[in-house]
Amino acid sequence: MIEVNNLHKSFIDKKDKKNTVKALDGLSFTAKDGEITGILGPNGAGKTTCLRTLYGLLSADEGFATIDGISVTDEPLAARARLGIFPDKFGLYERLTAYEQIDYFASLHGMSGKSKKQAIEQVIDDLELADLAHRKTVGFSQGQRMKVTLAQALVHQPQNFVLDEPTRGLDVMSTRILRNHLAKFKAKGHCILFSSHVMQEVAALCDRVIIVANGTLAAQGTPQELCELAGEQNLEEAFVKLIGSDEGVAA
Amino acid sequence: MSHDLIQLKALVIKEYREAFRDKRALMVALMMAILAPIGIMVMSKIMIEKLVDEPPVYIKFIGTEHAPKLIKHFADSNLLDFADAPKDEQATWAQRNITIEIPTDYATDMAEGKPIKLHLQADFTDKAVQPPVRRINNAVRNFSMAIGYKRLLLRGVDVRLLNPVKLVEQDTAKPDATFMLISMMLGIYLMLAAFMSGLSVAIDSSAGERERNVLEMLLCQPVSTMKIVLAKLISASTVAVIGVLLILILTSVSVGFVDLTKIGATFSLDMSTAAVLLLLLLPICFFASACQLFVAFQTKSFKEAQSTVGILIGIPAFIPFVISMMDDRPQWLNWLPIAGQSMMIENIFKGVDVDWLAVFATSGVTIAITVALVLALARKLQSEKVVMALS
Repeated sequence: MIEVNNLHKSFIDKKDKKNTVKALDGLSFTAKDGEITGILGPNGAGKTTCLRTLYGLLSADEGFATIDGISVTDEPLAARARLGIFPDKFGLYERLTAYEQIDYFASLHGMSGKSKKQAIEQVIDDLELADLAHRKTVGFSQGQRMKVTLAQALVHQPQNFVLDEPTRGLDVMSTRILRNHLAKFKAKGHCILFSSHVMQEVAALCDRVIIVANGTLAAQGTPQELCELAGEQNLEEAFVKLIGSDEGVAA
Repeated sequence: MSHDLIQLKALVIKEYREAFRDKRALMVALMMAILAPIGIMVMSKIMIEKLVDEPPVYIKFIGTEHAPKLIKHFADSNLLDFADAPKDEQATWAQRNITIEIPTDYATDMAEGKPIKLHLQADFTDKAVQPPVRRINNAVRNFSMAIGYKRLLLRGVDVRLLNPVKLVEQDTAKPDATFMLISMMLGIYLMLAAFMSGLSVAIDSSAGERERNVLEMLLCQPVSTMKIVLAKLISASTVAVIGVLLILILTSVSVGFVDLTKIGATFSLDMSTAAVLLLLLLPICFFASACQLFVAFQTKSFKEAQSTVGILIGIPAFIPFVISMMDDRPQWLNWLPIAGQSMMIENIFKGVDVDWLAVFATSGVTIAITVALVLALARKLQSEKVVMALS
C-alpha cells in the first residue's frame, strides 16, 4: 500500500527568490493493495515530483509518504525494498545482456543463490524474454527495452509497483503484454500505481483514478465516478473539465 | 553472505563488466602502458649511441702492407689511415701526429710465433691524443689476445686458464645527468598513467550513466549511495592499477634490451623497485579515480565531464615539474599527495634509500583525502541537487 499525505514541495531559485516553483501543494492519496491506481495530470502538475518523493529521492517540505507503512524519509532503503519501479526514462546498461541486467537488480534487492536464479528465470519466462536474455541490450527495440525494464522492476516480486508513463512509445502488442502483466499482478494482491496520459488505457485498466493538478488532488474515484462527477460521457472530457475548473470538483 | 556484501558484489561486478566491455576506454589505458616502454627504449638507445659513439681516429701507418689483418682490425674500431682522412680534419690529425710503425718482418714473425713490436708515436701529454691512444691500446690488446687465445686453443689449452682472477666492475656512481632525465620522465609518466588510465571508466560510470538515464533508476534502488560510489571507485581504480602495473612490467622488460652499462648508467627496474613504485602509486590510483568521479558526477553532461576532468590530468604532470625546479623544498610538500610521491619516485630513481616513514605518511594522507572525497560524494548523491539535475 502506498500512502501520500499532504505533500508540499517547492523548488527555490537561490538567485531569484521570487522565481519559486511550487510543485506539490498538499497532495494526498492512497493506492490500495489489489488495485491499480492511476495518476492523471497535465504536464507540470507535479506527478514526477510526487513519484520522486515516493522513491525517496526528494524530501518533502511538509507531509509524508509511506510504503506499506514505512516512511520513505525515515527509512528510504527499507521503503524502496518494497517497491518496484518502472521509471519514465528507462535506460538500459547497453554493455550488459538482458539476463545480467535483471541479475544486477535482483542482487541489489539482496537476492542471491538459487532463489535469485529461480526468480530471474521466472520473470524471463513470464515476459517471454528467453530469446533475448543472453543478448546485449544495445539495439533492443522499444518493446524489448520495456520488457527488460519491467523484468528488472519485477524480479524481486515487489509488493508495490510504480509505473511512470510506461506505455509511452510502445506498440499495441507491447502495451498488451504490459497490461496483461499488470492485471496478473493485481490479481495476486499487489499494489500498482500507474501514471499515464492515455485516457482509454487508464479507463480500461485502473480501478481508481487520481487526478492531480497544480500540485494538489483535483479529484479521485473510479473512472465511472469521475465521469459522473464531471457530468461527461468519457474520461477525457471529464479530465479536462476536472482540472480546468475548481467548481466542477467542488460540485 | 550478508545483504550488504551481496549488493556491493553485484555493483562491483556490474561496473567491471561495463568497464571491461568498453573497448575504447580500455584502449586508452593500454595505449599509455605500451607507449611508455617504447619511448624509454628509443630514448635510451639514442642517448647511448651519442655517448658511446667512437669518432674516427686517423693514424699515420708505416708498413701497412705487412699486416693487412691488423689494419682491418683497426678499421673495425674506427681507427683509420691518415690518408683516408677527410680534408677538413686533415690538419688536426696532422698536428696530433699519431704514428704506428709496423715492422717489415711482421708476417714472418707472426708465422713463427715470435713477439712483434709495434711502435706507437705520439705526444702523450696532449689531452686530445689520450683517448685515441687508449683506443689504439685496447685495439692492439684485443687483437693480440684473440691470436694468443687461438694459439692456445690449437694446443688444447683452456683459455680460461689465462684469467684466474677476473675483475667484475660495478659502478656505484650516480647515473649521469642525461639519464636522470629519462628516469624522471618515467616517474612523471607513471603518475600520469595512474591519473589517465582509469579516466574514461570513471567518466563513463558517472556522467555517462547519468546521460544514459540509468543513474536515476540506480538511485531509486534500496542500496546506499556509499556502496554505489565505492563500486565505481573500485572499478575505475582497478583499471588505473592495471595501467600502472603494465607500464612497470613492460618497462622492466624493455630496459633489459638496452645495454645501459655502455654509458656507465645503472638503471634497472628490478622486482623490489617496481614493488615500491607500485606501493607508492596505488593510493594515487584511488585518489585519482575518486577525484575524477567527484568532478564527473557534478557535471551536467558527458562532454562537460570530459573537458573538466581533462584539466585534472594536468595536475600530476604539472606538480612534479614544479617540484623539480624548486631548490629548497618545504617539509610539508612531502605530505602532499602527488608531490610527496613524485619526490619519492625521484629519490628511488636516484638510488637513494626509501624513506619508509615518508612513504606511509604520504600514502596515509592520500588515502585520507580519498576517503573524504568518497564520503562527500556519497552525501552529494543523496542531495536533491543531483536528483534535480537528472532530467
